[in-house]
Amino acid sequence: MPSVESGRIDLGDVTPHNIKLLRKVNSVVFPVTYHDKFYKDVLEAGELAKLAYYNDIVVGAVCCRVDVSTGPRKLYIMTLGCLAPYRRHGIGTKMLEHVLNIVEKDGNFSSIFLHVQINNDSAIEFYKKFGFSIVETKEQYYKRIEPADAHVLEKFLSPAKITNGDTKDH
Amino acid sequence: TKLILLDSLLQENLISTMPSSVTLPPKENALFKRILKCYEHKQYKNGLKFAKQILGNPKFSEHGETQAMKGLILNCLGRKDEAYEHVRKGLTNDLQSHVCWHVYGLLQRSDKKYSEAIKCYRNALKWDKDNMQILRDLSLLQIQMRDLEGYKETRHQLFQLRPTQRASWIGFAMSYHLLNDYEMALKILEEFRKTQKKPGYDYEYSELLLYQNLVLKESGDTAAALAHLDQYESAICDKIVLKETRGKYFLTLGRFEDADHIYRDLLKRNPENHEYYRQLELARKAETESEKLKIYDEYQEKFPRAQAPKRLPLNFLTGDEFEKRLSKYITTAIRKGVPPLFVDLKPLYSDPVKGETLEKIALEFLDNLSKFGSFDAEKKVQESPTCLLWMYYFVAQQFDLKGDYVKALDLVNKAIEHTPTLIELFTLKGKIYKHAGCPKQAVECLDEAQSMDTADRYINCKCAKYMLRANMVKEAEAMCSKFTREGVPAMENLNEMQCMWFQSECAWAYQRMGQPGEALKKCYEIDRHFTEIIEDQFDFHTYCMRKMTLKAYVGLLRLEDELRSHKFYQTCASVAIETLIQLHDKPLKDKDNDTESNPDELDPSELKKRLNKAKKAKRKAEQEKAVIEQDKKKKELFNKNRKKGEEDFENPVKDELIPDKLARVENPLDEAVKFLEPLLLLASNQTNTHLLAFEIYYRKGKVLMMLQAIIKALALDPKKFSTPQLFGSFPSIH
Repeated sequence: MPSVESGRIDLGDVTPHNIKLLRKVNSVVFPVTYHDKFYKDVLEAGELAKLAYYNDIVVGAVCCRVDVSTGPRKLYIMTLGCLAPYRRHGIGTKMLEHVLNIVEKDGNFSSIFLHVQINNDSAIEFYKKFGFSIVETKEQYYKRIEPADAHVLEKFLSPAKITNGDTKDH
Repeated sequence: TKLILLDSLLQENLISTMPSSVTLPPKENALFKRILKCYEHKQYKNGLKFAKQILGNPKFSEHGETQAMKGLILNCLGRKDEAYEHVRKGLTNDLQSHVCWHVYGLLQRSDKKYSEAIKCYRNALKWDKDNMQILRDLSLLQIQMRDLEGYKETRHQLFQLRPTQRASWIGFAMSYHLLNDYEMALKILEEFRKTQKKPGYDYEYSELLLYQNLVLKESGDTAAALAHLDQYESAICDKIVLKETRGKYFLTLGRFEDADHIYRDLLKRNPENHEYYRQLELARKAETESEKLKIYDEYQEKFPRAQAPKRLPLNFLTGDEFEKRLSKYITTAIRKGVPPLFVDLKPLYSDPVKGETLEKIALEFLDNLSKFGSFDAEKKVQESPTCLLWMYYFVAQQFDLKGDYVKALDLVNKAIEHTPTLIELFTLKGKIYKHAGCPKQAVECLDEAQSMDTADRYINCKCAKYMLRANMVKEAEAMCSKFTREGVPAMENLNEMQCMWFQSECAWAYQRMGQPGEALKKCYEIDRHFTEIIEDQFDFHTYCMRKMTLKAYVGLLRLEDELRSHKFYQTCASVAIETLIQLHDKPLKDKDNDTESNPDELDPSELKKRLNKAKKAKRKAEQEKAVIEQDKKKKELFNKNRKKGEEDFENPVKDELIPDKLARVENPLDEAVKFLEPLLLLASNQTNTHLLAFEIYYRKGKVLMMLQAIIKALALDPKKFSTPQLFGSFPSIH
């Protein structure tokens, strides 16, 4: 089978001028609707929120936030996805690698985690490739979609390199 | 417009005895000189103080020249009425003073009353015929008003008086050139050129040479012009112009081999210039398809990334070769994701055979891409998903061109489903609705499009335009205000920025909505822009002479001569004339407030609604007016505080355009004729001009003019007028 024509993949910032594009992507890709507050916060997220361009067209997006609800400092991936015709072209990979880079440079995250609908096999396979595993399953996580249960996928990160003689907690 | 320094005026008063009737004694004379100096240095308060000292003395209270200078200074302070009063007084007291006449001329000029100013200068020259400053000022006005004979005389005088000045020679030569007396112009230029040679890089000398060459060419002697270029090649700095001109001359003179050489050289510099390819075709006498194709294939090889050698052959190729290359061209562009591909290929559709081929190829590609993900059916190469997307986009435009709006919308919707983040799709959808005659839906699409990239002014303007097409004027203004200057109402800023596309669309919208006053206001605003552009050339008469940008200057003069041939003027004149004719046929009743007619048939609730609406509108207008007043005050304050007063006074404030007044003008037909005249002069190749002319003269009962209009229209488009429906609008002929 002849190879797929590869396109250029670039990541771009989310700004008040193009935020509607993010809304569009999310509304088409995800069965869940996000509040206006979500989009307000995204504008402050800096590198944690990116639009993904394929041949100069916005086809995907990733939005993360820092989570300290359970104690240790974790990175939570709120949304990561791309339009159906563009899947399996390396766009998801590019976005996830961007996130992993941030986390590595920062050095102060204990793990990255996200929620996935239990029937979303392709997503689960995708994250497993990058070292994520299912650590928990939350029943009735989703309010308005079926199945309502969600897996928690998490990737634990090795502690940062020792600097100035300080060690970090796990 | 700056008031030019009266330096020589100053000198003259210092050196010679004043030719005017009243001579001031030494003390007052000294004061007078100080007034002139104060004026020169913009120390207006002091100037007025000294003037007061002279005029305060009862012996000299009617000293004409002092009064004139006082008036001049008052004009700089914006006190126009007083200024005129004083200058006129001064003039009446001293009719033989060239100073008074000169000052009066300056005043007139500052009010853009150029013909009056010329008269004043001529009078001034009667009393001081060799006054350089007055002559210079006169020459500027003459060229501005295109009084070419007068200009020639004045420049001749200036030349005789000051032959050491560069500008004297140039102005003198140019005055002959503009009158098409090439022999004289060339003689003068050549003499002047001899004095100008400087070693090394001299851009001004180079520009002079190119101007001289232009005059040579226009005199008809192409061979001499070519020889001239050869002679001065090393001194001409603008190499591209040099080569391009040379190339044109070679072709004119039939020296095809030399032309070939030059165009190959030019194409090496810029392989995308279509004009060079055209000229190269002429140079090689390539007439058949294959001869021409050879050229383009040669350049495709030399410059594999150049676009032109791939696109231009599509214009003349036919048959299989055409199809083959077209396929390749489209596949490359679709893979790259070139949005304007359709626009690029659109001209090909006007040829029915090529159009058919294009359609066939495009539909085939679309079919294959959607079924197999590849351009061809043998599933050779899998393409990226954007190919299908851009193919949808292309074919949708194709159906739109054919008028099959249903299919076009279907495809664009499929594309939107595929990739809802591509703004071009929404723009296209809106365009299809527009073509199909659904302006409201079109606006919805464009509004969606602009919301997806609020930093893009292009899409913002497109959305505003679509809103105006749907008669949504307020909304359009609000849309534009996202990009116009803060604190100023968008309408005002757009007028200031001479944004004529917007104003034209507004005029059409108001016309459709039956608001003649508002429509006329827009037309007058547009017309004023044209007047302004013509007036703005004033400063360039001196500037270009000084900077030696002579070719560009002559180009500017010629452009200004034909300015109102521009589409924007034709639009505003059309709307204005149509509206004025309507107002002539059906003048507004007193009760009408520029809204729709039938005021007598209002029921009480409707009336109440109308009154409330009017109240609201009035309140809003007052609010807006308050904002404008505030801004005006801010501007005035700012201007007052400006230390460096380049502009000594605001440009003469134009009469405010009040829609209601415009719609109730006494003689709408006379106003219509004012709009018509530039059309007759500059747009007489448009049938619309003559149709409009007919409508006006029909109502004026000028049979001869009517006939003239019909004859001209028929001559331009005999086919169009064979249809009976058009004659319906000319009942008198029947």
